[in-house]
Amino acid sequence: MLHLLKIEWLKIKNYRAFWVFTILYLASIFLVNYIFWNIQQQTFERNPGAEQIFGNPFAFPKVWQTVGWTSSWLLYFPGMLMIMLMTNEFNFKTHRQNIIDGLSRHQFITVKMVMILLLAVVITLINFATGLTFGSITNSAFSTTGMEYLAYIFLQSIAYIFFALLLAVLFRRSGLAIIVFILFGLIFEWLITAIFTFQLNMAPYAYFLPLQTSDVLIPFPFGKEVIYKNAPSALSLVIAIILYISAYLYFTRKKFVTDDL
Amino acid sequence: MNGKENLSSKKYTLMTAVLSVQNITKFYGSIQALKNVSFDVPKGSVFGILGPNGSGKTTLLGIVMDILRPTSGTFQFFGVTPDADRRKQIGTLLETPNFYHYLSGEQNLRIAAEIKGRGLDQIDDVLTKVNLYQRRKSKFSTYSLGMKQRLAIASALLGNPNVLVFDEPTNGLDPVGIAEIRELIRQLASEGKTIIMASHILDEVEKVCTHVAIIQKGDLKTVGTVHEVLSRNADAYASIEISADNNEQLLVVVKTIPGVKDAYLQDGYVRILCEQSLSARELNKALFENGIVLERLLPQRKTLEKTFLEITGTISEQ
Repeated sequence: MLHLLKIEWLKIKNYRAFWVFTILYLASIFLVNYIFWNIQQQTFERNPGAEQIFGNPFAFPKVWQTVGWTSSWLLYFPGMLMIMLMTNEFNFKTHRQNIIDGLSRHQFITVKMVMILLLAVVITLINFATGLTFGSITNSAFSTTGMEYLAYIFLQSIAYIFFALLLAVLFRRSGLAIIVFILFGLIFEWLITAIFTFQLNMAPYAYFLPLQTSDVLIPFPFGKEVIYKNAPSALSLVIAIILYISAYLYFTRKKFVTDDL
Repeated sequence: MNGKENLSSKKYTLMTAVLSVQNITKFYGSIQALKNVSFDVPKGSVFGILGPNGSGKTTLLGIVMDILRPTSGTFQFFGVTPDADRRKQIGTLLETPNFYHYLSGEQNLRIAAEIKGRGLDQIDDVLTKVNLYQRRKSKFSTYSLGMKQRLAIASALLGNPNVLVFDEPTNGLDPVGIAEIRELIRQLASEGKTIIMASHILDEVEKVCTHVAIIQKGDLKTVGTVHEVLSRNADAYASIEISADNNEQLLVVVKTIPGVKDAYLQDGYVRILCEQSLSARELNKALFENGIVLERLLPQRKTLEKTFLEITGTISEQ
């Protein structure tokens, strides 16, 4: 596997667009939280009683959830990054060349999945650092309570990026895959959720839609009952996410290993 | 060919075949790209796969390199069904040069060598061999079509493989480049390497190949050594072009010579059709005895091009 990762490293090492994109994205995790934190501070200054009533979302232990929720909006970017890396191979036909040169189809797709795991680890670490920073400057005592949200962030990242990889392998074109990814995540899932919730009164079921599952796991820090009424237990959501990830993995692999390339 | 011969020749080729293809059929949806294709590539041969555009050459090579799935049929390299490691021992250029556009030629070869697990120390050598050393640091996207093609050939040479697969190796090259690649292929063949080459350029195949398979619309029309294919499709009569001071007189006289079936004037020469047994020497002698001194005597060799066109029919039939 290290050898395969070394080959991937050679592909991205001198790929400037990749690094610009990645660094901007990782910096954004911190910056978006900074913006949210800033607005929060100003609100509290203007309404002195608000902090007592709502609690400070950037204080330990709430900060892990807050940071996770805020940065989850950015998960479309690592998804796009993965789509870009995978569709590059299709565009350049290097997926064919790599296999002609002696990689197996299985090795080729597996190392992409390992790349996703590594990316998810980096995202989680940045979230950890961001949470630690804002928790510390919010005059609260460090607490490991609520750190399960870091694990949820890790799972959520994997779910989003694996979904993106599946779309890339299915559509093979970056534009199409990215449009479907964003439209599905930002429009269709919400539309279906709205129909389930308001028309059919079946709210909890809509929470098990592919991307929604992990969104519900890290709800808006001010009371999940408002946004996600009757939300299912964290455990059932985690199980659902793992099932989804397994399905992405299975279909991505199957498509790549058995089809004409 | 009778059954016994067939069996013994099969036994022979099985032992020495670098690549053996059996009954490969491939459908793209309802389009049949390959129809039950079988042949063996003997060790040390330069094996040309010849066919018009869209005849299934690249599909066939794609299947043996595991990037396309056959609908049915099997193939072996060196008698075993190949895995990824086996492909590392084969240098392949398939269809188009496939490289990372944002990396330099050198960086791209580094990736290929890393995948093959060999040839890392040969990057400069192979770049020099294809005249790309000066441009090794330039991005692939800045290369001309011919340079891209040469980089792909350089990549195939990494690790000094004993089997090379070239799909249209001279695509996009200028005349000098074509001559260089032809020379390179001859040189590789003289080192005992087996070369499998797909091409629609007949001249290319005839000049460098020892064996040829002619494929049309996915159908394997004929296969064998170039000599075998030519003689198998040889005409009943040989053709000889002659001329003398007085071609009208020559035409009358030559028709009386035994073995000459027909003669006619064409483009200022007399063209005769005669028995294959009538040699140019005998013809010359017979005409001299009849008082005619020839100033031109040119036995017409049948080209692969003519054979190819006979086998595959005219363009409208394709």
